[in-house]
Amino acid sequence: MSAVSSATETSLTGEVIAAKKQARFALARKTIVTPILLSLLLIAITLITVMTGSRPFNQTVIDVLVRVIFVVGLYIFIGNSGVLSFGHIGFTCLGAYAAAWLTINPIMKSSALPGLPDWLLQTRLIYWQAAILAALFAGVAALIFGKVLMRLSGIAASIATFAVLAMINTIYSNWDSVTGGTSSVVGIPIIRTIWPYLIGAVAAIFIAWAHAISRSGLALRAARDEPTAAAASGVDIPKERLVAFVVSGAVMGLGGALMAHSIGVVTPDTFYLSLTFITLSMLVVGGMGSLSGGVIGVVLLSALIQALRWMEGGVSLGDATFALPKGIQEIALGVIMIVILALRPSGLMGNREITLTRSNRNT
Amino acid sequence: MSLLALSDITIRYSRLTAVREVSFSMTEGEILFITGPNGAGKSSLLRAIAGVTPVAAGKIQLAGQDITGQAPENIARLGLSMVPEGREVFGSLTIEENLLVGTGMQARDRTSRARTASDLEAVYMTFPILKDRRNGQAGLLSGGQQQMLVIGRALMTNPRLIAIDEPSLGLAPNITDQVYERLIALQAQRQLTLLIVEQSSARAMMVGGRMILMRGGQIVLDGDARTLGSGEAIQAAYFGYEDH
Repeated sequence: MSAVSSATETSLTGEVIAAKKQARFALARKTIVTPILLSLLLIAITLITVMTGSRPFNQTVIDVLVRVIFVVGLYIFIGNSGVLSFGHIGFTCLGAYAAAWLTINPIMKSSALPGLPDWLLQTRLIYWQAAILAALFAGVAALIFGKVLMRLSGIAASIATFAVLAMINTIYSNWDSVTGGTSSVVGIPIIRTIWPYLIGAVAAIFIAWAHAISRSGLALRAARDEPTAAAASGVDIPKERLVAFVVSGAVMGLGGALMAHSIGVVTPDTFYLSLTFITLSMLVVGGMGSLSGGVIGVVLLSALIQALRWMEGGVSLGDATFALPKGIQEIALGVIMIVILALRPSGLMGNREITLTRSNRNT
Repeated sequence: MSLLALSDITIRYSRLTAVREVSFSMTEGEILFITGPNGAGKSSLLRAIAGVTPVAAGKIQLAGQDITGQAPENIARLGLSMVPEGREVFGSLTIEENLLVGTGMQARDRTSRARTASDLEAVYMTFPILKDRRNGQAGLLSGGQQQMLVIGRALMTNPRLIAIDEPSLGLAPNITDQVYERLIALQAQRQLTLLIVEQSSARAMMVGGRMILMRGGQIVLDGDARTLGSGEAIQAAYFGYEDH
């Protein structure tokens, strides 16, 4: 009897399910242009780099791709929740050290980091396996911190995330036998080929896109716009924030692992205030509420930094060489950021995403 | 049995008592207007029922279940949907996304997803303008359209009771008429229970149903909107003449 009625129900609702599926795919299809375009942008930059074959340029573009991962990671939490976080570079630190623990030659490890547990001392993984585990490790750490932090909101939450950054930095600066203290941890295999970084950045972009259009991402963006109305519509705000916090923490951990492999050396202060500042600036300049804004912010500001460095080094025009004074790079960057934010307070992209039609949200 | 029952609800904001020992109950399918002057405690009461504002004392029951002190998201899941004052649409989301936020967020199985699809169609049938602009940004809708969107969003959770705070606020009278027309039609179609806060009692008299008049955090009148509205008692109650 019950089987019969449920069968009828299934056939009745079949049509509706099909309609709903269509609606779901429609949402995905409408928005998937954005991650594809952003990935194509990065692929184009990478291909140009490979074709020029210049070693320093190669390293610069690797830095850009790593920063794309960081800024996209920040966007997943900050962009969707509207809560500014100063703590995410802490998860990058966790990811970078996890990659170091998992990939350094066991002989070097047992002399430099004798405090590591035996199984970890014996482990030696390939960089990409280490990067995946580093992302998981950072995600678990984000879950633990997030459980406490996500109950806070507004400025209290932001300051608390800053405390997380300071805590992680202090622990990693002082736990000498496990992290090497403030001195550099060396011997991390350096990956000079650009492709893994491209794959990491593209993966981060697609993770961010999938999260933003998921139920959880939708609920979080609603809570960002109107918290009371979202709660009255059945959105559990701390829970949805936690989901975003964990996903973004894992992406930051992935970026940290790749950064460790791009430079081969980690210290706790690599992952502290200056990296926090530069990545947050890139997100804010690009547009906090937009995935495209994050990626474009990285590319533009990186290009700007590179151009300024180049001019500091001296430009030859005919017989004369012009060089900007040293330090102009930081100052110019600051001024340009202020100008951009004065003209476009919500960043270059605001809440919009790049699409082929340029107006997907307003039709 | 009553769908919603309040007993001796008191709401305080630090030392200020906004609502003082208010009790009333609603039966299923009823339309109840809460009217009264500014500062009467109408909105506080509505927000307390939805779980947004904490109550200092008293008990709120929804279909016999005690919901006092529950989180708003839990109350929404139990079938009470609130439309907050000021048409709080999720401005950066599209209209369809706004509606989907209101669906049972836990639902992952096929039948509930199918229900979401049919709920969405039902809302689009009630408010065709929302369907026309389903992919448009909600923040760009006009005031009346935004009010329809928030009502549509409240409908998506399949509530038994919708509590609406000042639906006419800032709307032109003819747009308000349209909004009420839809509300009354919905109430009839779905056996919805409506709890509506309005500052003016004129709208309640036009629509009919039951009306509670609040002043100074207490209920001063409770009765049929049409008969109450025509008497002098309401003016006295509204402006507090009996104090003199």
